[in-house]
Amino acid sequence: MTALLEVRDVVKHYGGVVAVCGASLDVEERSITGLIGPNGAGKTTLFNIISGFRHPERGTVSFAGKRIDGYSADRVARGGLVRTFQQTKALARITVLDNMLLAAPRQPGEHLWRLALSPRAVRRREREIEERARELLAVVRLESRSAEYAGTLSGGQRKLLEFARALMVEPRMVMLDEPMAGVNPTLGRQLLERVQELRAAQGMTFMLIEHDLEVVMTVSDIVHVMSSGGVIASGTPAEIRSNPDVIDAYLGKHGDAANAQGSPKVAG
Amino acid sequence: MAIGAYTMAILVVKADIPLWAASLLAIAAGMLSGGVLSLPTLRLRADYFAITTIAISEIVDYVANNYQSLTGGPLGTTSLGGPLQVTEYNSSWLNFQADVQGWLHDLIGGYASSDFALLVIVWVILLACLLLVTPMVRSPWGRVLRAIREDEDAAASLGKPVYWYKLQALSIGAGFGALAGLLYAFEFQTFSPSDFDPLITFYGWLIMLIAGAGRIWAVPVGALLFGLIFSGPTFLNFKPFTYLDAAQLAYLEMMIIGVILIALMAWRPQGLFGRREEMVLE
Repeated sequence: MTALLEVRDVVKHYGGVVAVCGASLDVEERSITGLIGPNGAGKTTLFNIISGFRHPERGTVSFAGKRIDGYSADRVARGGLVRTFQQTKALARITVLDNMLLAAPRQPGEHLWRLALSPRAVRRREREIEERARELLAVVRLESRSAEYAGTLSGGQRKLLEFARALMVEPRMVMLDEPMAGVNPTLGRQLLERVQELRAAQGMTFMLIEHDLEVVMTVSDIVHVMSSGGVIASGTPAEIRSNPDVIDAYLGKHGDAANAQGSPKVAG
Repeated sequence: MAIGAYTMAILVVKADIPLWAASLLAIAAGMLSGGVLSLPTLRLRADYFAITTIAISEIVDYVANNYQSLTGGPLGTTSLGGPLQVTEYNSSWLNFQADVQGWLHDLIGGYASSDFALLVIVWVILLACLLLVTPMVRSPWGRVLRAIREDEDAAASLGKPVYWYKLQALSIGAGFGALAGLLYAFEFQTFSPSDFDPLITFYGWLIMLIAGAGRIWAVPVGALLFGLIFSGPTFLNFKPFTYLDAAQLAYLEMMIIGVILIALMAWRPQGLFGRREEMVLE
């Protein structure tokens, strides 16, 4: 059986800087997959490429059996692959609830002609998605803030809002870019529990970038390790822990020596 | 605006199309040109996009000035029919205005000037526009637009086709621009390219600043205030202003407008009716 998400030999430069060079990885359906690596390894660039915000120079990205590397970001999202951002993109100038409603798919009211011709369908859908939005906001403990501008939320709360908003899209797979950063530990744990619950109940697939290795190792089935723009190791948390290449990459023994000799610099 | 007005005038004078039909076609032409012109520019962001739209309006201005056989050139629409023939396009508008005038006359039981009739017509059209736009902005469609205004990437990450929404917004805006151009042209017997110089765009932008961006109902109020500020100094006909001659008064007018704008920026950057949160929250 093929994996839900397949990344093959993806290459991306920014200017003369190599961000990702020949990265390949698989994400199995119903898995929680971790993506780790030192700063500048190319994790976020790879996220951007998978989610359609950047297009690879070489290599392919396939989701659910379809090539998506040429798709625009909105088309990738509509296809069921939704991502969050490391620098949160909660929409500060609309309310928390509007952030949620915005994300809901199949709202006929987003098309002018349907808005004019079938206002009742628009209102019905609006009630449905509002109910769902409030449920999800309750999960991330933001229900009491729903009428406030999202800009009044703290950094951690914005992470939570973004997570809940991504779920509003009814995705098949969610990619989380540092979902725990700035979130208070109790809420963070609840967020992870929610991730596991969603996987169990709805068969949702998750991939997350996270700097807290303890978290990644506990929650993930499979972990991919990136360094200098490539995937240097993939395996279960136990395998990754004992992999000497990974230890090198993190301790910098390898990487620093190579960089000092003028090998391609890495960004992202 | 210019595209709307010119389409209307050319269609009436040269193709002999009735005024109301020509006006509808003119609005359609405005929307279409707004859409087409946006195709290459919409991928640009904020400042760059603004610069290119100004460039496009300059192009329209040049075409209107130099494509004499089509537009009448710098002399304006009076020479649409050729060099020796004075033409006008708005006789049926004047009839309509006279009808409204007569009707208002009966309604208020006294004399109604033609200016008053024009005022009423324009306000009724404005009201109709507001009634059309308000539900659009409050709808899920408007919600997507607000999201795009703040962060295109966030909107795209949630599956919204950003480009398509911007195209719609720009076409609709251009349609309203064409309508405004029509009304502007109706008010006068004739117009020329210089009637649509960039200053008009600037005025529109000032109105928005005064009222507060993103608030529909604030715009007509802002326009009223702008009108007051703009014609206000004309009423400065008492001492010490009588020591100034007309030209000096005109400069004073500009200075007063400038001071008001600076004061507004300093104390109320969101405009009179804007929400401060939408300016400062990030």
